[in-house]
Amino acid sequence: MVTAEAQARPIPSEAGPGEARPPLELADLSVMIGGQGGDGTLTVSDLLGRYFRKRGLYVYTSRNVLSRIRGGHADASVRSSRDPIAAVKAQVDVLVAFDNEAIEMGKAELAPHGFVLYDSTTFHVDLSNSVGFPFATLVGGPLGQPIFKNTAAYGALSVLLGFDPTMTRAVIEERFRRRGGEALEKNLKALEIGRKAALDAPGVANRYSVADGDAHDLILTTGNQAVALGFVVGGGRFFAGYPITPATEIMEYLQRYLPAFDGVVRQAEDELAAINMVIGASYAGARVMTSTSGPGLSLMTEGIGHAGAAEVPVVVADCQRVGPSTGQPTRHEQSDLSHLANLGHGEFPRFILAPATPEDAFSLTVDALNLAEKWRVPVILLLDQALCQNTTTSHRFDLASVRVDRGKRLSPEATARLQQYKVYEFSEDGVSAVAPPGTPGVWSEVTGNEHDEWGHVSVNPSNRVRQMKKRMEKMVKARDELPPARFYGPPQAKIGFIGFGNTAGPILESMRALEMKGVATRFLEARTLYPVPVHEIDPFLKDVDVAYVVEHNYTGQFARLLRETMPWHHAKLRSILKYDGYTFRAPQILAEVKEAA
Amino acid sequence: MVQSAKPVPPTWCPGCGDFGVLAAVKRAAADLKIPTHELVLVGGIGCSGSIHNFLEINGIHALHGRLLAQAVGVKLANPSLTVVAAGGDGDGYAIGMGHFMHAFKKNASILYLVMNNETYGLTKGQASPTSQIGFEGNVEPPFHSILTALSIPAPNFIARTFSGDPKGMTAILGEALRFNREGRGFAFIEDLSPCVTYNDTYKLWREKVLDVSKLPGYDPTDRKTMFRLCLETTEQGRIPIGVMHRPKEPGHDGLEVKLVGDRPGPVRTDIGLAANLPAYEKLLSGLS
Repeated sequence: MVTAEAQARPIPSEAGPGEARPPLELADLSVMIGGQGGDGTLTVSDLLGRYFRKRGLYVYTSRNVLSRIRGGHADASVRSSRDPIAAVKAQVDVLVAFDNEAIEMGKAELAPHGFVLYDSTTFHVDLSNSVGFPFATLVGGPLGQPIFKNTAAYGALSVLLGFDPTMTRAVIEERFRRRGGEALEKNLKALEIGRKAALDAPGVANRYSVADGDAHDLILTTGNQAVALGFVVGGGRFFAGYPITPATEIMEYLQRYLPAFDGVVRQAEDELAAINMVIGASYAGARVMTSTSGPGLSLMTEGIGHAGAAEVPVVVADCQRVGPSTGQPTRHEQSDLSHLANLGHGEFPRFILAPATPEDAFSLTVDALNLAEKWRVPVILLLDQALCQNTTTSHRFDLASVRVDRGKRLSPEATARLQQYKVYEFSEDGVSAVAPPGTPGVWSEVTGNEHDEWGHVSVNPSNRVRQMKKRMEKMVKARDELPPARFYGPPQAKIGFIGFGNTAGPILESMRALEMKGVATRFLEARTLYPVPVHEIDPFLKDVDVAYVVEHNYTGQFARLLRETMPWHHAKLRSILKYDGYTFRAPQILAEVKEAA
Repeated sequence: MVQSAKPVPPTWCPGCGDFGVLAAVKRAAADLKIPTHELVLVGGIGCSGSIHNFLEINGIHALHGRLLAQAVGVKLANPSLTVVAAGGDGDGYAIGMGHFMHAFKKNASILYLVMNNETYGLTKGQASPTSQIGFEGNVEPPFHSILTALSIPAPNFIARTFSGDPKGMTAILGEALRFNREGRGFAFIEDLSPCVTYNDTYKLWREKVLDVSKLPGYDPTDRKTMFRLCLETTEQGRIPIGVMHRPKEPGHDGLEVKLVGDRPGPVRTDIGLAANLPAYEKLLSGLS
């Protein structure tokens, strides 16, 4: 199968290590770094990402760690390309191994032209296309600690890949400057130790080369960081959360960012408290959010139901991981959608938004805050582990497009002009104008019980019906304000893809590969998942002969929602599913597209 | 004058201890001249949790057991509000226990008022965390909120009152609200509030309550002394009431540090783009 990434020239088979030959240029490079937790694999990945950024390349890094701090195998991969990328490459060009498990795991994915660089301190690799250096020993003597072995490996790697030495060094300075004198000095020494070892070994230097790109005004970020920034810029000023992988960084970023804006970030005693603190703060007039992952979402379900019934605006960022129960905390999945679409007992409106990239995560976080306050409903920001934690090059977040809309929030002046202040007043759009407590002259009661316009508990059947309609019809009335889908590929294409979140990257890469084979495809990237945007998806499905719904779960949760809302398209929908904890690689999608066989 | 929600008539049984609490809250708010629009009452689930319906007040009818989390959220978002969380013993000490313990640690300047009737009244008289052994087949020892509260080394105001002593109760409630409004931290009052229908303890409690302030050695700034006094009186079959902990002025006691700084004003509402643009640009320029 010809894929976009297989553009590297093959190495002539007779060219073994030691022979002088021109470097193999890798326009789309993938480096995998594996070792024991604590070996510093993520640091190597971070250093490489920074280097490629400086060379104007697009970067995508992913990590595969266990839910423990020390020990256990962990690996990270870094991909760089002259073209935009948002997925892990199917093959590994260079494997950096700190333990034998990295070899066992990475060997199968190693490209024919690939190479293995390993720390030979404790193990030996019996592969022809490999070289080992005792990094831990090499740095342990002069620097007193073996922990700098990862920086030494980065040094050796820089020689193998033909990096510019000045820029290689600049990356170390940038990364360790903040830690101060000794850390920086030792890492710079480790870098030189690694470089020297590689330069002295035959057949290592300049084995590959990485061409420069022209993508210069990009940032390197994660979905979690983008959500935190979107929250601040979208006017969010109160956040409560509870640590949980892979959502914790949102809270940690906000602990850094929000105090400068007089915002409040609180770590609660559990997710029950987090969602309820956020409800209280929202009632008191703050723009709020909490973030969590599956197990925490289960606990928050109670509170989200309360917010839904009491019409208190809240935004909940769900960083999906493998479920059910504690599942696989550090692994990727998109299996919370069915739960969220049906979240809670009873019925209440909710919007579910799903960004595909950090850039979109930034703007959909702003949208989520606006929609929650404007429509006074819970809004779920549906993320997935890969989007949350993988580092991607992204366009700079666009401040000019940010708009803060607090909906029908009553100012003290507007409140004073009222005859009556009814917190659940019936209105055309189902949204009641609300004045936060503290507004002079008025007070209000909000409740999760069914209530009348005044907020008094009510069991009156006609009031019940009117209040239900008031709330539920928001999902219809808000339709045109919900974030629209994005469309890719020629409109005349008869093969369609539908996906959301992290699957967008692998789908787009698959489309490019299919195009090279002469197969035209289209892609609908859904950004509002619930209420299901029938007005967008129905015409799309009418135009195609078949649509592959690509998602990370066992039961095809989004496809099921589409079948439920558009049963007339039942026969056209096919699922491409993955639930092994890893993200899609393009070839895995291509293998399922029968029309392209 | 804009018309806001009017209180509804109480739904409690005639003679319910919660009427005493309702009267005391009204009295204390009036004495302290707290404007209605600045008062927020977060009610729990159960008979006592509907108290906000019977008052002219801002209110949230919260989820069972979660009222403290919501009340803390209200207070942190707008510290200029006077915030009272009010619920029953089941709400606070069973389903809400996790939040109960942490409220002392968080030390937000809110008042938590537990109306303890030693039963689940609204669901018709099941045993609660404070029920005596033998009540409705209860085999578990009753939970002692005051001893638990005293065990958490935070500068909280801790007291127990009795609905049969409205004067004493109003005084303590007023002191607790003043403590809150001075931003000195969390105040906890457990009011002994008999359920006349399922656990009528008026007569029994009137005989058993003991005002600890009358005891020799009473010193509410000394945690050790108060723990001993409360434990001893309880072991003697009496029910200690009164102020159990009144922190010294900040700085007088190593433990009495302010754990959670209440903010001086509400969370800023000038959250529009224009007002913050230079700061946002600076924040985003930090990304590379």
